[in-house]
Amino acid sequence: MEKELLMIKEEVAELVNKAVDKKALNELKVYFLGKTGKLTNLLKGMKDVPAQDKPRIGALVNEVRKFVESTFLSKEECFAQKELDEKLNNEKVDITLPSKNMKKGALHPVTSMTDRLVDICVNLGFTVVDGPEIESDYYNFEAVNTPKSHPARDMQDSFYFTENILLRTQTTAVQARAMESMKPPFKIVVPGKTYRNDSDATHSPMFNQLEGLVVDENVSMADLKNMLSIMMKRLFGEDTLIRFRPSYFPFTEPSIEVDVSCPQCHGKGCKLCKDTGYLELLGAGVVNPKVLDYNGIDSKKYKGFAFGIGIDRASMLFTNNTDMRSLFKNDIRFLKQGR
Amino acid sequence: MKVTYNWLKEYVNIPLSPEELAEKLTKCGFEVEEIVHQDKFLHDVVVGKILKIEKHPQADRLVVCQVDIGDKTTQIITAATNVFEGAIIPVSLPGAKLINGISIQPTKMRGVESNGMFCSGQELGIDDNYFEGAGVDGILILPQTMKVGAPIAKALMLDDVMMDIYVTPNRPDCLSVIGLAREVAAIMGEQVKKVNLSYPIDIYSKDTIHDYIEVNNLTDNCPRYCMGAVKNVKIEKSPLWMRARLNAVGIKPINTIVDITNYVLVEMGQPLHAFDQSLICGKEINVRQAEKGECIEVLNGNTYQLDKSDIVIADNEKPMVIAGIIGGTNSCINDNTKTVVIESAVFDLKSVRTSSRKFGIRTDSSARNEKGINLANAEIGLARALCLVSKLGCGKIVRGTIDKSKKSNDARNIIGSISKINQILGVKVPEKDISRILDSLGITNKIIGDKIECVVPPYREDIENNNDLAEEIIRLYGYDVYEKAEAPLFENSAVTESYVNKRYNLERNFRNELVGNGFFEIMTFTFGGNDFVERLLLKDERAHPIKISNPLGENFAYMRTSMASSILQTANYNLSVGNKELRLFECGKVYLAKEQPLQNLPVEEEMLCMFVSENDFDFFNFKGIVENLLAIKGDIRLERTSEPYLHPGISADIFINNEKVGSFGKLHPLVIKNYELPANSYYGELNINILLNMNDKKVVFNQVSKYPNVARDIAVIVDENVEAGKMLESIKSACGQLYFDASIFDVYRNESLGENKKSLAFNIILSDVNKTLTDEDINKVMKKVLKSLEYKFGAILR
Repeated sequence: MEKELLMIKEEVAELVNKAVDKKALNELKVYFLGKTGKLTNLLKGMKDVPAQDKPRIGALVNEVRKFVESTFLSKEECFAQKELDEKLNNEKVDITLPSKNMKKGALHPVTSMTDRLVDICVNLGFTVVDGPEIESDYYNFEAVNTPKSHPARDMQDSFYFTENILLRTQTTAVQARAMESMKPPFKIVVPGKTYRNDSDATHSPMFNQLEGLVVDENVSMADLKNMLSIMMKRLFGEDTLIRFRPSYFPFTEPSIEVDVSCPQCHGKGCKLCKDTGYLELLGAGVVNPKVLDYNGIDSKKYKGFAFGIGIDRASMLFTNNTDMRSLFKNDIRFLKQGR
Repeated sequence: MKVTYNWLKEYVNIPLSPEELAEKLTKCGFEVEEIVHQDKFLHDVVVGKILKIEKHPQADRLVVCQVDIGDKTTQIITAATNVFEGAIIPVSLPGAKLINGISIQPTKMRGVESNGMFCSGQELGIDDNYFEGAGVDGILILPQTMKVGAPIAKALMLDDVMMDIYVTPNRPDCLSVIGLAREVAAIMGEQVKKVNLSYPIDIYSKDTIHDYIEVNNLTDNCPRYCMGAVKNVKIEKSPLWMRARLNAVGIKPINTIVDITNYVLVEMGQPLHAFDQSLICGKEINVRQAEKGECIEVLNGNTYQLDKSDIVIADNEKPMVIAGIIGGTNSCINDNTKTVVIESAVFDLKSVRTSSRKFGIRTDSSARNEKGINLANAEIGLARALCLVSKLGCGKIVRGTIDKSKKSNDARNIIGSISKINQILGVKVPEKDISRILDSLGITNKIIGDKIECVVPPYREDIENNNDLAEEIIRLYGYDVYEKAEAPLFENSAVTESYVNKRYNLERNFRNELVGNGFFEIMTFTFGGNDFVERLLLKDERAHPIKISNPLGENFAYMRTSMASSILQTANYNLSVGNKELRLFECGKVYLAKEQPLQNLPVEEEMLCMFVSENDFDFFNFKGIVENLLAIKGDIRLERTSEPYLHPGISADIFINNEKVGSFGKLHPLVIKNYELPANSYYGELNINILLNMNDKKVVFNQVSKYPNVARDIAVIVDENVEAGKMLESIKSACGQLYFDASIFDVYRNESLGENKKSLAFNIILSDVNKTLTDEDINKVMKKVLKSLEYKFGAILR
């Protein structure tokens, strides 16, 4: 019997291995393990084994049975896996076919840039403040050191409704409003639409500005530089550099233009920056003490700095857009690129 | 401000090229916007002399010339007919590239060699005003005195370099060659050379200026008025050097006297006016406010009607000049002028500005007068003009000048603080540099402890305080210093609160949600034509948009009163270029006047508007979008709308807590037609301002029952006009405590239901927190529901 058991073991190993499919395997299973199967029958002879041999043969029987069962099981698992693999393979889809969901739309490039700038400023301690677009001459000009007949009014052609009511030409108009209503120290940022009587490829009569104003006891041109440097790095990347050039605005003294190293060539010179390596992007300066005093903030105690950035232009630089007019045409084919 | 490189060099030593100088000026606050080399198209063009002219053997119309070009003789063929043996002419040699695009190369014309070309004035870029004979149709014949072989640029004084420099409004003193020379000197650490202001007077003659002119009657708007007189005037072309400079800065040379006034304007920044003395009635000048209705014909050819706000220079009969702006034709210099009186004055800048704007006249004079001229300049400008008269020898200068109201602004004393200046700058500029820089700008100064005592020259009226001094110091010290400055951010500042305001936050939520829903954000002009009133069928206050008084055009003149005007136009544009399936939105303002004409600032309402045009889109898709957008504020209630531009049956006003927050729906067919939109177009808007005044919904999380929910469906038949929403409310209240949710899953219409009847099928979900619901519990509630529907809506169970 011992010999027969070992033969069955070998036979099972060989036949199971040769089984070509699930059906053949099942037949084999019946052949060995069925009610009248080869192994079953053999085991029936167990009762005839001499008593002294029983423990040894019994152990062998157990071993062979375990072997046979596990051999069948692993072969069955193997077939099941194969079957599953085939099924999955048959269910394969062409993953390059288009998606089915409602495709998302896109923010307008200018809003997108506004969000970026606002987020950067808010992280630096600024609060967002709004003001009216139709503004009084007082807030737009007078209160920011640009009285009537001031030569600086030439810098900005305004749209007027009456002698004293106009479309604001600069978000600076909100500076005076903020100074009136807020107690220093404060940092505000004002995103919004502004208007000038000007229209060509680089000027739109309506455009977007973001104004920043800081009023505190101890702020200087150096703080302005640090702050703008961080802002521009966050916007255009860590290797961005800024540089100052003297300029003039009635509401700041000293006044500067701020150039930003070209985001495309990183200062090496390219078509975008006309080989200068830098692009003019902001106006800024130390708040003119006359403006502080005029709006009820003691210039002996407080100082300030302010900056203004053309959001449209920043957006254009950011997205390699070369025509300002495209921003307000709102052609979906253009806007889709903002997805 | 256009100046030339050589003109600047006359007053300050410049050891730099024009380009290098431009870079320095730009760094110090004077941006050089353009540099034009006058000789850009004149290289390889020289003065030549025709030695011999022979007929071309092969062509009747051509001649072969032997030309002396200085170092050699060359052969040139020409078709020009005005050349002759011995003529001095401009010759362009191989390599030359002329202003009209012609490149010169050695060539053969009908088999004979030609090594260049003779030039006309036009080919050199000049006309008769600049050089006699330059305008003739043919070759420019040059004077015999010109040196053969010399570069033509030198011979014609076209070798200067024009620099166009942007002067900021706070620096009117730099709207002159001398002012910019002062800046250059400060930048270079050089000294400005003195301007020659001296002139000889006619000592043999006894007459004085008072024999020629008197100035009376000075208006308060003229703080200084100076005059000089010149007799025996020669009106002719001014010398080439003067014409060359005027030409380079874009001023047309005319004659001696006029050129001198323009020259002084550019050089000294002092506008002058020259009168033909014989045309001044009564030999009297009155500087007065104009009479209302007075008229004057001026040099631009137009006639203007004046009023009391304008200043005029008048004789006893007529206004002769609109002061500081433009001269009249009635007294100007002409070919017969024998005696000239020259005005050099300062007028009130506001007054000049107002008149200049009113008439729309901008001249080199008005540009300077309206920015403010230093009072001392009037006297200097007149002296410089008389000096030039004598230099040109174009007249005899009469003894004496008139100087009315001899006001002059003096140098001012300012006491600054070194520590405050450094505080403003945030970097430490060494005291010796502060002192040196201010000195170089003509601001004499003395540092005593922290104090810096400054004496500011009268032409620097812009300097008043520490900030002004700080700017002068840093722009010359160099902003480069900040490139190295690395200090902690807001080193000495207070911590301030960061806050994205409510408006920005709310809109940002809306924007992101709409983008997720396939919408594209647009940004449109807030103004346009007023046709939108009719196109949108507006009747209420929105029918009266506010008008811009100086718009870019009638199509840009009216502030929108409805967002629909902008978004529907954008939709129309997109459809016209073939974009279909549109989902658009915009956040923006509408502008509503409280009264017209405006006395107060108008109301600005911040709005969110949406537009959809898609095949399978309907009212209920839109409703879902609106519900989701407004979920943060609470449940919405809809009522039929009266918005004129919406379809009355397929649109709704949106209410939250009984306040109207917006409206949406299908567009009115007439509006669809007016904007040429597809029939299935939808529009909606939310008033952001109103939503901002509403609190967000309070979110409460109740515990979910651990016992299973029970769902029951019922279908009832009701009249067509019964509103499903009201039935749902009724179901909710009938269910009481056990209510969990209820929804409509089918609306069915069929003749078998009866006329004007519909069947609504509800799915009702019940739940009890404390126990599993029994059939008995459920049946009780469902009976109550049916009863209530029957009672309130006449509903019959199907």
